[in-house]
Formats: sequence, C-alpha cells, structure tokens
Amino acid sequence: MLLEVNDIHVYYGKVAALHGVTLEVSEGEIVALIGANGAGKTTTLKTISGLRPLARGRVRFQGEDISKVPAHKRVALGIGQAPEGRGIFPGMTVQENLLMGAYGRKGDVSGDLAQVYEIFPRLAERKSQYGGTMSGGEQQMLTIGRALMTNPKVLLLDEPSMGLAPMLVAQIFDIVKEINERGTTVLLVEQNAHQALQLAHRAYVLETGAVVKSAPASDLLHDPEVRAAYLGGDLGVA
Amino acid sequence: MRGDDVTNNGNTAAKSGNPFKLAGSQLDRVRDWWAKAPGWQRWIVYIGLIVGALILPAPWIGAFMSPYSDWTTVLFFPIGIYILMAIGLNIVVGLAGLLDLGYVAFFAIGSYSLAYFGTQYGWNFWATLSIGIGVTAISGVILGAPTLRLRGDYLAIVTLGFHEIVRITANNTDEIGGARGITNIPHPPDMFGTEFLFDPAPYYYLILATIVLVIIFSRRLEISRVGRSWAAIREDEDAAELMGVPTFRFKLLAFAIGAMIGGLAGAVWASQANFIAPTSFPFILSATILVAVVLGGSGNLPGVMLGAFLIAWLPERFRGLAEYRILFFGAALVLLMALRPEGLLPSRRRRAELAEGTGGMGSMGAEVAGPTSDPDVEVSSK
Repeated sequence: MLLEVNDIHVYYGKVAALHGVTLEVSEGEIVALIGANGAGKTTTLKTISGLRPLARGRVRFQGEDISKVPAHKRVALGIGQAPEGRGIFPGMTVQENLLMGAYGRKGDVSGDLAQVYEIFPRLAERKSQYGGTMSGGEQQMLTIGRALMTNPKVLLLDEPSMGLAPMLVAQIFDIVKEINERGTTVLLVEQNAHQALQLAHRAYVLETGAVVKSAPASDLLHDPEVRAAYLGGDLGVA
Repeated sequence: MRGDDVTNNGNTAAKSGNPFKLAGSQLDRVRDWWAKAPGWQRWIVYIGLIVGALILPAPWIGAFMSPYSDWTTVLFFPIGIYILMAIGLNIVVGLAGLLDLGYVAFFAIGSYSLAYFGTQYGWNFWATLSIGIGVTAISGVILGAPTLRLRGDYLAIVTLGFHEIVRITANNTDEIGGARGITNIPHPPDMFGTEFLFDPAPYYYLILATIVLVIIFSRRLEISRVGRSWAAIREDEDAAELMGVPTFRFKLLAFAIGAMIGGLAGAVWASQANFIAPTSFPFILSATILVAVVLGGSGNLPGVMLGAFLIAWLPERFRGLAEYRILFFGAALVLLMALRPEGLLPSRRRRAELAEGTGGMGSMGAEVAGPTSDPDVEVSSK
C-alpha cells in the first residue's frame, strides 16, 4: 500500500474538521475523494501533505509512519500536492514556479521540465509570464505542473476543476488521466463528482468529517444515494 | 507592459493630467531600462552614484538640500541611519513578507549594546559594534522562535509588544541607566587619519561605507537560494512548504538578519550620538521606517532607499514651515499611497503579485491574460 490514512482526527481550534477518516491508496491508482463543501476533503489532503497537524490517528506512506514529519520533508518522500485554486507564486514567472517544484531536488531537472511542458503546452507558451497574470485555467495547470516537478510518487490534487469553464474541466481531467498513465498515483479531491467518478478507479464519499462510503468509482456512479446527493439525481449520468 | 504604459499615459493626460501617475510610469520606464541594461551601463551608474555620494556633503548642495540644519549632520542622521534601517527592515518585510511593527527594538538593542560595553568595560568601537550586531541577531531569534508560527496581523501585534518590552525594560533597568540613559558613549577610533569627534563628516562616510556593504550583502542574499525561499514564503507560505521550503527556518533567518542590520544601525548611531535614553527609541520611529519601505516599493532595494531618503529628508528640508510641515508631510504620504499603492519604485515581481486577481479567476477560466502580462521578458532564473 502506497498511502494509508488511519482514523485521523483534525481540529481547527476546538472544532473537529475530521473525526476518524480512514482511506488507502495503492500504487498506480486514481482515487477520488468526493463530498459537499465543508465535508473535510481539503483538510484530508492537507493532513496527508503535512500542512495540518493531526490530533489523533496515523498517516503511513510506503509503510512508514509519517504523522510527525513536517510538510517540507514529506515532499522529498514523494508526496506532491497541487493546492486548491490559486496556490501559485504570483510574482514568479511560470518557469520560476515550475523550478520551485524542484527546490529540494539535486541534479538535472531539465528533463522533467521538458516533460511538464509536453503535458501542458500552454505553460511552455507562457513560460516567462508572471504566474499572477494568468487565467484561472492556466494557474490550475501551473499548480499541477509544479507539483509534478517535485517528482511525486503520489500526486494530491485539490479541486483541479474549481472555477473553470466546462471545456477546460474536461481538458484538465484528460491531463490527470495522462499523468496517471505515465505512472503517477493520484488522489483527487473534487466537488465535480460526476467527472471525478468517471476518471477514478475508486472513490470515497466524505460527509462532515468522516468517510460514509467507499467503493469502486463505477459502483458509486450508479449508487442511488450518491446520485441523489452529488450527481443531481438522474441528470448527471447518461 | 510597454503597451500598457502608453495607454496609461494617454488616459491620464486625457482625463485628469494626473502628475503622480505620469511620474509613476516614468519611474517604471527607468526600472524597465535598468532590468535590461548591460553590465557596463550598470557599472557607470554604480560609479556615478558612489561619486555622487562622496561629494554629497558639499556646501553648495547643502545650501539647497538643507537650508535650516547642518547638511552633513542631516546626511548622517536621519538620512543615512534611516536608509540603513530601511534596507534591514526590507529584508523582513519586503523579501520575507513578515510584518514587523517593532523594528526599532533592534535598533535600540544595538545602541544599548555599544553604549553599555563601551562605557562600562571601555571596549573599543569594533568590539562593541560586533557585540551589538551579535546581541541583536540573538534577540531576533529569541523574538522569532516562539512567534514566527503566527501569521500576518498576529505577528505584527507581537512585534509591537516586543518593542514595548525592550523600551520598558531599558527604562527600568538601573544597570543601563534607567530613564536617564547612558552618556559619554565612546566615539569610533581614528580611521585613515581622521578623528571621529564632533565633525559630522567622518560619521557620514562611515555610514556610507556601511550602507554600501549592507546593500551588497542584501542583494547577494536576495538573488541566492535564500532569497528565492523568502520570495516563495512571501507569496504563498503553504505552497512554499509544499515545495519543500523549510519555511520556519527561513523566516527566522530573515528576522535575525533584519535584526542584525537594525542593530548595526543603532550601534553606529549611538557612537555618534554620545547619549542615548529609552525616549530615543519611540514607536513612531518603527512606523516611520516601515512607511519608508512601503512608500519606496517594498522588496526593491533602490525603492526602499529612495523612500527612506524622502521620509528623512523632506521634514528637514521644510523645517521652515514649522509644525505645518508634518501636516503637509502626512497629506503627501496619503496622496502618494492612494495614487501609487505599489510604492515609488516597486520591483516587477511585486507588481505581478499585486496584479493577481485581475487577470485570472474573474474570467471564469477564459484564457485572458492579465494587464501586466509580458510574454517577451527574458527568463531571469538560472
């Protein structure tokens, strides 16, 4: 098992954001984490990447307990996160942003840079433009590309479709699929449940800080409760 | 950017003829030229600036610049000291993005270290100066270690408190003179055959040399891996951590280095002042230096130095207006910040940071570039 999250509890002050989330990701998978706003999806990702401390429970990566490892050291282990929305460095150019991804790496990274530009030709076109001056879709691509530059074993994606036009959402999901086919495991947080479930192999449904369902994604697509709650009744599925 | 400038000028000329915006875009043009200038042109400017600084105390310059006070004295304090402090505070605020409202605390600690060890133990200037720098660096770490996990406003409040602690401690510690302060602080020893006594000129050249060294130091840091780590922290601390930047360690380093430069300024100042007391270090001085940094263009060395110069010089220049000068000064600051919020000479990077939010999400993912997009700029890294 690549990543194991075992009964984690996370608090913001006295308020529990997560009470007992357990999930697993094996190598090569795309796993989706779906749920409503405030269900704890982003918190779960931040706890895995180390940005939020956990009050109870355990995070294991490649069999080792990393619950106490600070975020900046988890990157080197192979956990790469593309933060939600505009988590780019606005005052750095696209290329500088990408090179920040290689911050902790030794040796030549030009091959990886070329690969990111191959996956995102758009970023190659704009490599000397400041991150802050790009459109939402481009910034989204940049956060993903930058996370790829950390050379992750597992890529944590936080709402990659947020605020994007439908055509761009489809494009981003295609790219996630491509990244996975190139060998990177993906843990994906999405509100856009329909598309996430079509892309993922397995999925977890999060409600108010706890996992309420876990199943192969195709099963969840046809689960009546999930369809009612997250897929807009019958409208979402053909 | 260039196209943008043209429309800007057109707009302002047509609408209001706003002189600030016009002057601002001229400054931007100078900055853009500088960004692309080849090495030899830069060296001509450097040499010109140094020669200019050397002849700056000349009486004919002073006659215009400072008709009411002795120009060379003004050049040392406030101008030189403010510039040195602004460079130091710029590392904390401009480079690492940490809001420090109590920066004068470090200035005070540097002053007191030099004064105390100079008067009580009779140690010479270089020894007390080094101690002053060391003690302030340590005090920066002591303040930073428990507080740098706080962010933004909370950190600002803590630094404000730190300044008060330092001031009140100095006021109530008899060992360092209490409210009476310390008098008869030794002057620096003779250097290059020049005596450091009451003539302000040697002090001016001392602070000038110090400023040049600190500029080189600060600039080297800025373009190093350390500077890149600070930029990442300033722009998005969580994202920096996700890239593997040990954010806490680098914030602490910024605090310690900023404190060191503040302490250095304090020590040099005390060696000339001869007398210091807790009242020499009011909160308003912290605020003034912060204004200099923000007004000049936080994060950009020439900008913050220009800001510090103006903040120090303008009230001296218009001393003849008596108390009204503070009123005009305040009004000028308000006006300037309203018309040019990014500061007089912001770095291009800073502009892009501020521009965020104009070109992206608002268009709901439509592929529209922001107003300052500039695809033909050379990539400056590596």
